[in-house]
Amino acid sequence: MPRAARRAVVAAAVALAASAVPGLRGAAAAEGSRTHEIVIQGLQYVPETLKVRRGDVVVWTNKDPFPHTATAAGAFDSKSIAEGRSWRFTAKRAGTFPYICTLHSTMKGTLQVE
Amino acid sequence: MKKIVGAAAASLALFAGTALAQAPSDAQIASIVVTANQVDIDAGKLAESKGSNAEVKAFGKQMVTDHSGVNKQAVALVTKLKVTPEDNPTSKSLKSGGEDNVKNLQKLSGAAFDKAYVDHEVAYHQEVIDALDKTLIPSAQNAELKSLLVAVRPAFVAHLEHAKSLQASLAKKS
Repeated sequence: MPRAARRAVVAAAVALAASAVPGLRGAAAAEGSRTHEIVIQGLQYVPETLKVRRGDVVVWTNKDPFPHTATAAGAFDSKSIAEGRSWRFTAKRAGTFPYICTLHSTMKGTLQVE
Repeated sequence: MKKIVGAAAASLALFAGTALAQAPSDAQIASIVVTANQVDIDAGKLAESKGSNAEVKAFGKQMVTDHSGVNKQAVALVTKLKVTPEDNPTSKSLKSGGEDNVKNLQKLSGAAFDKAYVDHEVAYHQEVIDALDKTLIPSAQNAELKSLLVAVRPAFVAHLEHAKSLQASLAKKS
């Protein structure tokens, strides 16, 4: 197996193990990492502005009956999040990131990472 | 071209005019909502296959996805509420307006198709928003039906903005 592929498999296995073993999740929480939820509904990000700390996880959940994205050019891009699905992002870089839905340009949100 | 836009505008005006004439019942609103979404799905499918500009094709595809999603939700709600969608002058004129639009578009190709499709999308979404605001939302009796209409309104607004920006970019290219 090529090294990159092996690394991907290992990463996937670690991610699986982390989600399956509550202890590992607890370890992350103990370091102060939090998970924040943003609900997408009625073409709005709720909350519209979210302040998090570096290392925190942000989960966007789409409750509309069609796809949306959460896209901050150069910073993050969920790509299409289907109806009822979620997208998870770990905020590693500090800054203020305005983001939009590339499918519905009327939708705007801001993620502030401290 | 003028004729096509004129026909589209007439059918849309009919939609708004009829809607204003008398307050529709929930069963009629259900039929109007489903028909309004369906005609835009039909036009979107055509744009997806017949559009020449990549952004127009992508917009058509998105209209199919978004309006199919809204319709799925609307049908699930009326089924739950045991409301049987009831044909009415507004839903009938919407349906025939949609059929006329598709017939007109089928005769066109290339940039002429793109322009006619996008022009109609701008007018259509504006008319639906007006109908939602002036007739459908105020007339809806059932609270869940009313909130569904309120929840889908921003989608029509976003689509209108998107169609307008496409309209402007097509005008620059011509």
